[in-house]
Amino acid sequence: MSNISPNTIPNTGKFSWIKYLKDRPLWVDLALIAMAVACYFLFPYSLAFVTRVLIVMIFVLSLDLVLGYAGVATLGHAALFGTGAYAAGLFALHATASPILGLLVGACAASVVAFVSGLLLMRAHGLTVLMLSIAFAEVLQEISNQAGSITGGADGLAGFIMNPILGIFEFDFIGQTGFWYVLAVLIAVFIFLKMVVASPFGLAARGIHQSVVRMRAIGTGVYWKLVAIYTLSGAIAGIAGALSAQITELVSPEVFATSFSAEVVIMLILGGMGRLYGAIIGTALFMVVHHTAASVDPFNWLFVIGGLVLVVVFFVPAGLLALPAEIKRRMGRPT
Amino acid sequence: MKRYLKALATAAFLSVAMQGHAVADTIKVGVIAPFSGPFAIYGKQFQEAINVYVSQNGTKAGEHTVEFIYKDSGGPKPDVAKALAQELLIKDRVDYLAGFVFTPNALAVAPLLNKAKRPAVIFNAATSIITTKSEYFTRVSFTLWQTAVPLAKWAYEQGMRTVVTAVTDYAPGKDGEDAFKDTFEKLGGKVIDQIRMPLSTKDFSPFLQRIKDKAPDAIFGFLPAGPPTFAFVKAYNENDLKGSGIQFLGTGETDETNLKALGDSAIGITTSYHYSGSHDSDKNREFVGKLKEMYPDSVANLASVGAYDGTHVLYTMIAAAGKDAGKAMEAVKGLTWESPRGPVSIDPKTRHITQNIYIRKVAKDDNGMLINKEFQTIPNVPDLGLQQ
Repeated sequence: MSNISPNTIPNTGKFSWIKYLKDRPLWVDLALIAMAVACYFLFPYSLAFVTRVLIVMIFVLSLDLVLGYAGVATLGHAALFGTGAYAAGLFALHATASPILGLLVGACAASVVAFVSGLLLMRAHGLTVLMLSIAFAEVLQEISNQAGSITGGADGLAGFIMNPILGIFEFDFIGQTGFWYVLAVLIAVFIFLKMVVASPFGLAARGIHQSVVRMRAIGTGVYWKLVAIYTLSGAIAGIAGALSAQITELVSPEVFATSFSAEVVIMLILGGMGRLYGAIIGTALFMVVHHTAASVDPFNWLFVIGGLVLVVVFFVPAGLLALPAEIKRRMGRPT
Repeated sequence: MKRYLKALATAAFLSVAMQGHAVADTIKVGVIAPFSGPFAIYGKQFQEAINVYVSQNGTKAGEHTVEFIYKDSGGPKPDVAKALAQELLIKDRVDYLAGFVFTPNALAVAPLLNKAKRPAVIFNAATSIITTKSEYFTRVSFTLWQTAVPLAKWAYEQGMRTVVTAVTDYAPGKDGEDAFKDTFEKLGGKVIDQIRMPLSTKDFSPFLQRIKDKAPDAIFGFLPAGPPTFAFVKAYNENDLKGSGIQFLGTGETDETNLKALGDSAIGITTSYHYSGSHDSDKNREFVGKLKEMYPDSVANLASVGAYDGTHVLYTMIAAAGKDAGKAMEAVKGLTWESPRGPVSIDPKTRHITQNIYIRKVAKDDNGMLINKEFQTIPNVPDLGLQQ
């Protein structure tokens, strides 16, 4: 395990959360939260958009777990997002429109789908996973399109109106409640994932990413570890999907689109894979640039996005998080 | 106490946001449509038609100046469309919304219209139920029932008694199939086979061979515009169904933006639709002429005429009511005008357009260009979908 960066390895035999938190300053996290809160006051008219960014952040975090940490290349992660969205939508329509319960249902449904599909996907490697994951998302999309009596087909699943959160906070027109709700969920997910990636379980994921053979040699059950990671990632993607369904109050088969899966991969690459902050920064950058460019020129904004991706991939292949290190390296000073 | 204060502040803010400035004389219209990706052609056609209308009628509706703000929704993405609509209503303070190519996008915006009390004019999205979801919706496009029912009647009148329906397996396809079958069988005809083809199919020969074996009088086809239509028409010709006396009946397959690519193989295809770029009227010649003048590469199709008439409806509402949504909706109910597609009106009950449906055949005009030549008119067809 000596190749894993040393500061993430607990130096005692037994892992201690207290020690872990002591070693790590929280100011970055606090700054990020402060920035999110600042958005509320700086962009009171664009809360709907900011809320969408936060939802996609949760989704990209879930992808980071699979792609960044465990190194499993998937282009069908929207399958899990969409499952969460449809589960939450159907639950709100037929059972109860409680947002919190809806989140749990979305997470459970998506983790079940992730587990079942993971049993197959995690047996494959490389390009095979890529193709299988795309196929899987497309199958789900076709089901949502065909089962019109249940899902509303191509017209989308509509007609549910969410209850107030915890029975107190009603979803308002401007999207204030939605913003705080999603931000709270994002913070909870982020803290949870920080714990996961620092835990022995998270270390095992990185170990698999670096060398499957070595992990086998030290006695790790690689296959089941991967299935577990994929299932966990599914639960988080499901939460993101459920949030999206609750905020939009409509779900369409487009949630399963391969283009959506590809977009979140780009966001993650932009920010930096295998780091939770990378997922946050990449999503924010991609979506803000997209939004700004598309409002300035709704016809040709794709050029801007394409250019941005090219620049980052050429000059900072490890993602924007690696930018300071990259600048130092190019200036000729050792890092 | 704090909560009440917040509620009060919100209410105050909302009332400002909703009313806008009573003195401001510019009225903004937010247009939500795809301007990028595979459906960008819709946004392009919309914008060009709006510009044509504005250049013919000026930027003033009554005493108000009209300003258009365009937002790109990409494809069928209801979450994006809803967030864009929210932003348009709250940040840009638009008084009217317009556009909407896809049904889910329009449906996602419906609750916002009800809360914000802002009218929206649908240029395209064609599922019947949309206008029932908000009393602030009005629609100037068409529904599949509106075009397929007259076609079924016409086919029966021509003496056709057996038809095979072949539709793409998605919501509009099923709508088209239902509409055609229902009408045709009520009249006494028979649909002897219903084929649903996968959305991603590129090889249609097996389906057409199956149809040939059944030897019906005609096929009723419904496919999304673009490559599937080309492939289907090509397979129709290659399997020589025309030679076997099996007619092709369609609706929007021979859209003007497709015709050139379809080529001569499309000649003779019969369709029923609400607009043909070659519609024979002064109003249409004026519209198409101006469009050609401003955008030489452009052709007028259903999206152009939808946006052109939609802009007319918007101008009428703005001239009559300014920012008063209730009055604007009253102004549009029963509105009658001469469109490039012919005489049209807005049904006061459904807020959907009542229009002539034309039976057309693909033919060559004097310049050798392929056109949809109208040869029979079914006047004043309302949306028939909601009565089912």
